[in-house]
Amino acid sequence: MTKKSMNAAVSLLALAAVTCGPALAAGPGAVDEPIRLAMLEWTGAQISARIAGKVLEKAGYKVDYVTAGNYPHFQGLADGDIAASVEIWLNNVGDVYPKVLAEGKVEDIGSLGLTTNEGWIYPKFMEEICPALPSWEALKDPDCVALLATPDTLPNGRFLDYPADWGSRAATIIADNTLPLTAVPSGSEGAQIAELRAASAAKTPLVMMFWAPHFILAEVEVGWVEMPPCKDQSNEHCIMPPDVNKVVWSGFSQKWPAAYEILKAFRFSTEDQQQMMLAIDEKGQSLDAVTTEWVAANEATWRPWLDQALN
Amino acid sequence: MARFSRSERLWAVLLAVSALMVVLAHQMPVLRGFPTALTLPLSEALNAVITPVFEALRPIGRLLSTMIEAPLAAIRAGLAWAPWPATVLGLAMLALYAGGRRLAVFALLALGVVALMGYWPKAMNTLALVLISVPLAVGIGFALGALGHLVPKARAGLIFLLDVMQTWPAFGYLIPLLLMFGFGPAAGLAASVIFSIPPMVRNTMLGLDEVPPAIVESALMAGARPGQLFWQAKVPVAMPQLMVGVNQTTMASLSMVIIIAIIGGFNDIGWEVLSAMRAAELGRSLGAGLVIVLIAVLLDRITRGFAGRRRGVAPRWLGPGLMAALVLALLLPGEALLPDEEGQRWLRRLDAWLLGFVAWSAPVFAVLRNAITYGVMLPMRLGFSGAASPMVWGFALSAPVTLTYIAVSLGGVVALGCRAPWRGIGFGFAALVFWTGLPGFPWPGVFLLMGFATWRAGGAGLFALAMGALLLAGVSGLWQPMMQSIYLCAVAVLISFAIGATLGVIAAESDRFSALLRPVSDTLQTMPQFVFLIPALMLFRVGEFTALIAIVLYAVVPPIRYVEHGLRSARADLTEAAVQMGATPWQLLWQVKLPLARGSVRLGLNQTIMAALSMLVIAALVGTRELGQQVYVALSRADAGAGLIAGAVIAAIALVADRLLRAPVA
Repeated sequence: MTKKSMNAAVSLLALAAVTCGPALAAGPGAVDEPIRLAMLEWTGAQISARIAGKVLEKAGYKVDYVTAGNYPHFQGLADGDIAASVEIWLNNVGDVYPKVLAEGKVEDIGSLGLTTNEGWIYPKFMEEICPALPSWEALKDPDCVALLATPDTLPNGRFLDYPADWGSRAATIIADNTLPLTAVPSGSEGAQIAELRAASAAKTPLVMMFWAPHFILAEVEVGWVEMPPCKDQSNEHCIMPPDVNKVVWSGFSQKWPAAYEILKAFRFSTEDQQQMMLAIDEKGQSLDAVTTEWVAANEATWRPWLDQALN
Repeated sequence: MARFSRSERLWAVLLAVSALMVVLAHQMPVLRGFPTALTLPLSEALNAVITPVFEALRPIGRLLSTMIEAPLAAIRAGLAWAPWPATVLGLAMLALYAGGRRLAVFALLALGVVALMGYWPKAMNTLALVLISVPLAVGIGFALGALGHLVPKARAGLIFLLDVMQTWPAFGYLIPLLLMFGFGPAAGLAASVIFSIPPMVRNTMLGLDEVPPAIVESALMAGARPGQLFWQAKVPVAMPQLMVGVNQTTMASLSMVIIIAIIGGFNDIGWEVLSAMRAAELGRSLGAGLVIVLIAVLLDRITRGFAGRRRGVAPRWLGPGLMAALVLALLLPGEALLPDEEGQRWLRRLDAWLLGFVAWSAPVFAVLRNAITYGVMLPMRLGFSGAASPMVWGFALSAPVTLTYIAVSLGGVVALGCRAPWRGIGFGFAALVFWTGLPGFPWPGVFLLMGFATWRAGGAGLFALAMGALLLAGVSGLWQPMMQSIYLCAVAVLISFAIGATLGVIAAESDRFSALLRPVSDTLQTMPQFVFLIPALMLFRVGEFTALIAIVLYAVVPPIRYVEHGLRSARADLTEAAVQMGATPWQLLWQVKLPLARGSVRLGLNQTIMAALSMLVIAALVGTRELGQQVYVALSRADAGAGLIAGAVIAAIALVADRLLRAPVA
């Protein structure tokens, strides 16, 4: 299944969910059995999971947090070993997710509400050495390209792409615009972050594919390249902000009807998430303390979700 | 003119044929890469077969995983309940019993560090995993080892199976295990058990085989039945060797902690290492890695202590110590006592230092990276014919340059070949490979040379294995990644062996250097290799070079160990005689000790190759284009077939390299 058709399927499903309307005043269901929420690898997803969990606890549920790898956890969701995962980036779901979604083993319950971004970034100091930045035209300038060149990519400049298994469109876009760049797959998210940190510290030029919100963007000052016009609007030739949705196991609404309504209503802003990421990753505060604080301070936000589901 | 032996004549013919192919390949692209017309959709076909099989195995897998998860949860809860001072004291008493006072002090310090760094709960979860997987692996391994001992016919197959289990990258079979066991620790545990069984089997067979016949006979004379002979005579005598197996199995299962964490579900130290790697935080990953090293060293010394222990009285402090641990456990509240985030904050400071170092040293490391890339890696990958371009070396591949290369090569072959045909032939092959680059060597030539070498060294079985692997790689479209893997490993093995052997020689000469080197080697081998990737990435950026550094850091340890061991155990009377005859230290080393240590050195080379191959999958995280990357991509796409095929090719390369090195030189 291509990304585009998958996105279409996802939005169709979301639409169906909206038009059918939420079943109000659902019963709480199996309150004695813990709801197992996925804790994925990155801080943002862990914050979202903790907050969802704490809100569910306010509604009287028991919650277990299960650390899980992003790709393997789709299998867990399909089997019900994991009950819900609240921050799934639909641009990075591998091949299992579309399959289990099509089989009806998991259910997409709509957007988490994050404002996302995806595109090409560079460390801010590069604007001094490639003055045409942030315009993409800068990447045509031979002087700027020479700064990016490495032995592996000569005579082209080096463009650091997503890992080979994430399916990036950067190479296609580079070819569409005949940019003198060679896309080099990065292997892992950690590799991209390490390069960005080092590039910013040692002032070595770098252009790479990246996304937001991400904690590193609070730590390293970057600029986003103003992208060339898309050849067409397809996912292969054009970068569009990815959707971030909440997904539950297919049996969830049966087992915990009220919790299902709460998670469906659960939304979360990028600003809040970014502030918490900063507190955890930079100031070294604990995940538990930061999220407890948010829940205490934002009752006005989550109380209506509970009221709607339980009353 | 030297006289040619039969095999020399054959190799000379092969050289000529290969040279012809290299020349032809410039005109016929079909000779360069494995033709795409010959590829088949193997992974789809494999998926169609194995997915239903593993789906059918699900009920069994689910049953097994519930059976495993109950005791796992119990151990985990017990370790989480016990206040950490009580657990530390209890483990220190175990260390005291197994290895004496010094080990007990080490246990106190090591576990104290773990607690202070803020990793205590995660470390206990890891310990729970090890406490489940080791008994399982030991039990199954002992049973298989006993089978191999009692049924000699099963042995050849068993040993082949063990080799496959140890060389097949675990990433390659995680997907089928996930299908079978479902999400959770069971799938990771199964992978860990598969990987850690072989040392137990090997040591069980060795121990049982070496029971002195006199003991067996006296047992038979005393009228022992087969069961009694086995359990009451052979097993007790073989016990020290069995304990060595337990020790090795424990180490192997700890090294799999990270693999279990890839699936997740257990919030253990491996998960912490992976999360830190994902955020590229050196401090956190180093801290978590250190926890694994400390646990590994502690378990190693404790199990080794039990292996070498003579039955005797318990140390005086044991009773009171255990009592104190029990009292602490009952009196202290469990989780409340954990240290706060101070340790974590301290670890994070390391990252600032690293960035400072990177900023300061970037120009130096850029020079080093460029020197090795231009001088070693690009020529090995592209060959002389590819590297001789204005872009890489600054001159083009003109007719005079080509002719000079041919002349020098031919001259070298003839000049060396006149004295010793072997050297001439070897030089000829080296010149050919250097011309095309390893990945660009004509594929029929690879088939021809490998076929010939494996046939001579290992007969039909090895020949079939090698040809099967090459064909599998070619047909499933993995020819280029395979050649890339071989090239990356070859460069890494050359560098690791040169550095490691040198260090080993120095360590054999100097006790002090050896003592300094040992903890470094221990750390390099038990520290999860992910930890090294972060600084390497910052200094050398994404790409093959960083992968090379990571592989070398891991593969440098076996040559250090084996060369030092070989040199130190060189027969004293022979070295003495050489000294008496007035040999200089240099002569003593090159002409007496190293030849005497040949077996050990060769085993070291063998282990270097194995280590380098086992790092391929991890190196994929820094953006390589080889088989490890294929395994990794297959894992994330949940493509079981593709993962199994790429894994099989890696395992086959390892097995063929191992058998070729073990064979006597033709």
